[in-house]
Amino acid sequence: MSDKTNSTTRSGFDRRMFLAGAAGSAVVPLTARAAGPAPNAAAAPDPSLPVDVTLRVNGDSRLLTIDARTTVLDALREHIGLTGSKKGCDHGQCGACTVLIDDRRAISCLTLALAAEGRDITTVEGLAKGDKLHPMQQAFIEQDAFQCGYCTPGQIMSAIACVKEGHANSEADIREYMSGNICRCAAYPNIVAAVKQAAPEILKG
Amino acid sequence: MSIAAPEPKANMGQPVPRYDAVAKVTGMAKYAADMPLANPAYAYLVTSAIAKGRIDSFELTEARNIRGVIDIVTHENAEKLKDVKLFSEGGYMSTTVQPLKSADVAHDGQIIAVVLADTFEAGREAAHRVKVNYRPATPSTTFDSPGTTSGPAKGQASRFKEDPKVGDFAKAFDEAEVKITASYETPTQHHNPMELFATSCVWTGDNLTIYEPSQYVYGLKNGVAAQLGIDADKVRVINYYVGGAFGSKGSTTPRTAIMASLARRLNRPVKLVPTRDQGFTIATYRAETRHQIQIGANRDGKLVALRHEGAEVSSRPDAYVVGGTKTTTRLYACPNVDSLVSIVHADRNTPGFMRSPPEVPYLFALESAMDELAVKLNMDPIELRRVNDTMKEPIGGKPYTSRSLMACFDEGARAFGWSQRSAAPKSMTDGDWLVGYGCATTCYPTQMAPAAARVRLQRDGRVRVEIAGHEIGNGAYTVIGQAAAEKLGVPFENVSVHIGDSDLPPAPVAGGSNSTASTCSAVMMVCDQIRQRLFRALMPNESVIDKAKETVGMGQTPVAESANSGRPLDREKAFDALGVSVVEEYGEWKPEDAPKDSFRAMQQGQVRIVGGSAMSDKIAYAFGAEFVEVRIDKWTHEIRIPRLVGAFAAGHIMNPRTARSQLMGGLIWGMSSALLEATELDPRYGRYVNDNLADYLLPVNADVQDVEVIMLSEQDDHINPAGVKGLGELANVGTNAAVCNAIFHATGQRIRKLPVRLENLEV
Ligand code: FES
Ligand code: FES
Repeated sequence: MSDKTNSTTRSGFDRRMFLAGAAGSAVVPLTARAAGPAPNAAAAPDPSLPVDVTLRVNGDSRLLTIDARTTVLDALREHIGLTGSKKGCDHGQCGACTVLIDDRRAISCLTLALAAEGRDITTVEGLAKGDKLHPMQQAFIEQDAFQCGYCTPGQIMSAIACVKEGHANSEADIREYMSGNICRCAAYPNIVAAVKQAAPEILKG
Repeated sequence: MSIAAPEPKANMGQPVPRYDAVAKVTGMAKYAADMPLANPAYAYLVTSAIAKGRIDSFELTEARNIRGVIDIVTHENAEKLKDVKLFSEGGYMSTTVQPLKSADVAHDGQIIAVVLADTFEAGREAAHRVKVNYRPATPSTTFDSPGTTSGPAKGQASRFKEDPKVGDFAKAFDEAEVKITASYETPTQHHNPMELFATSCVWTGDNLTIYEPSQYVYGLKNGVAAQLGIDADKVRVINYYVGGAFGSKGSTTPRTAIMASLARRLNRPVKLVPTRDQGFTIATYRAETRHQIQIGANRDGKLVALRHEGAEVSSRPDAYVVGGTKTTTRLYACPNVDSLVSIVHADRNTPGFMRSPPEVPYLFALESAMDELAVKLNMDPIELRRVNDTMKEPIGGKPYTSRSLMACFDEGARAFGWSQRSAAPKSMTDGDWLVGYGCATTCYPTQMAPAAARVRLQRDGRVRVEIAGHEIGNGAYTVIGQAAAEKLGVPFENVSVHIGDSDLPPAPVAGGSNSTASTCSAVMMVCDQIRQRLFRALMPNESVIDKAKETVGMGQTPVAESANSGRPLDREKAFDALGVSVVEEYGEWKPEDAPKDSFRAMQQGQVRIVGGSAMSDKIAYAFGAEFVEVRIDKWTHEIRIPRLVGAFAAGHIMNPRTARSQLMGGLIWGMSSALLEATELDPRYGRYVNDNLADYLLPVNADVQDVEVIMLSEQDDHINPAGVKGLGELANVGTNAAVCNAIFHATGQRIRKLPVRLENLEV
């Protein structure tokens, strides 16, 4: 952190309290909450203790014991060992961490792992079938749609969703709907070409 | 062949797909922060909220009480590391400011504490709970701030040897028929590679392994060893892939030795992934610059006098300077030239290389002024360049090894449709759009540095190449593999390439666009050593050395022939004659003009780059011509760039596919630099206020439309055996001026300060 952003006390925002609430909503049945706040605060779980969460990633279920604040991105990278999804900002500003959650693109750095429990997470590692690349991966290679490759997993996940959302009908459309993924190497024209190339095959199924 | 994989012209290699393509599209490419570690401690940085002053005290109790926190390290309890010189002064460091050494704060965002925790989340929370009591002083933060000091670069920066000059500028300018005097400014910019400045350190006994994105693994290895005071042989740096760098990962930043020291103290691997905003202050940046250009010319456009004065910001302790006058004073024929570069020292972190460090700001000034001159002369800007084109640089009279500038202008103009341009400003419109066409020269020095390689050839034709080069998106794996495949006459698929590891033979920093020229020249030389051994086995009575020598340098011999060398080598027969199954060679290559201590320096992680304007009897540059169509909405002043065209000549092109991508990325970088990028400094506090990817404007896909890259065939036999001129930094240079020249053409308004935002337009 930069000390200059240290405004926990000034803003009155307390992350631990907030997260205690968030974690609670994920594990406590609604009826319990409808009954009102817990009568005895001492009985509330210690929010700094690890929690158990099961994530289904590329079809495999993984039980993790993690800090409740762990994002899907950090769960994948630091706890499951799937490092294909990348951290470029941790703030939802770059798209490098894009994964699919229940087939929709999601910024995994802004999604808590707890919030993804019970949902299907697909990462770049889950696209190829053995040695056979996904058509979008193949198109990225043929169109040279990357240089350093760091944004590429996020671009590919976004690109697949972009096609499935029906947003790959024109170059202008592709450019617009791929604009949540920054490529500092600026492979943009090649990314557009790759999405165009792969779209028909993906839509064919 | 497709647009992405252009048909090779003469003196170009094949556009094979990237060696690392499958790894990169499947998520299998391991970047530094992806390397598996056994039970790492997570480090989280705390950085300074003041730009100048002292730390009175820390309040750490609350932070230490967070569950999972292992330790908090500040200047009060950190190991004192050794001071090491700036890389440009014969050392390794990006800055001589040594964080955690004392209570002093030298710049905003300086590392002042490190939290170590069992989890990233606990480390982050604790870092937010560290309280710091400062005794702040008023910082002097940029040009015109009271309290800065300034002086000529010459004498304080050892790499800046001379302010180039020739003839009598004052007299010639005074007597010139047409004159231009104009001032230009460029902003602070940050590289913002997508990959963060991650570092992991692992000790095994007294051996240290560092996983960090680096453009110079030998530099980092030696720099960290020097700071820790240990033998460099005990340090290994591994980074197989770098997630973009653009200069930011070339020198050793202070964070690495700090992490190494903490990992040693904990006896546990330490992993640091700094935040995006921390990257703005714990690494380097492109500092803001100011320029004054004076040009005197005859009515026919011939330059008679040129003066370029530049000023650059650096930090208080360090004299970092880019000094682009070495290029701008030599670009055009002109008998009377003068120049001066000065440095302004402010309370900032030390700047560093950023893609085309000298050329971007200095050519923005010169190429804008050339356009202003063309307007004043009522002359086509391309014709103005033609009139002043030269095969000899004017300062020392040295010949360019090759220079295809006007050929680039001609091809680029054709592709762009320059002839459709009506000369008068504000004369082209399309509905509500004011349309402008602009162009500019681009250039970049051809540089090389000593490199070593080890190559192994098996009887079955499989090849292993080892060189500590760097894959930063430049296609290093690919072109190194191609160089070996072509030399040894085996298919590209047969070659396995090993780079990004300081245990391999040394390669120079992947900076100054010297990478392909240096590494491929070394690999080709070592492949020739192998060829010689094989030839010798088969033809013991012939002058085999000469035979193999014929093939040295793809500049001299077309690629396909060089692989076969007129007389195909029967590899299997040669191996049988030798009676071995594997032939392996190691070799050290150095460019012409390299200093005597080159190889020793290379092993010690110190680069001896030669080339550009610094050669004894010649000057080597790659050239290009860049064209921009700009459209400005006459009501909203929205600025769009529907078309960018660049035509480039850069000697032998190893791979038209990877070369095109780099040039295309460069053109977009240049557009971005002209219209979007600026790090906003709050001059009161010396703080970067837009230190994130939402507020630091970068182009996204929707900002980029047609980008056309044309690569001209060019052969240059006077630069290096590979015949290669670096092109990674060629394309983002001229674009800055080309955009402003197009804006002038569209609006009649000359903008001399970057970036151009719609609020700057007064249409
Ligand atoms: S890392 Fe998630 S958007 Fe940047
Ligand atoms: S390929 Fe480097 S950031 Fe996109």
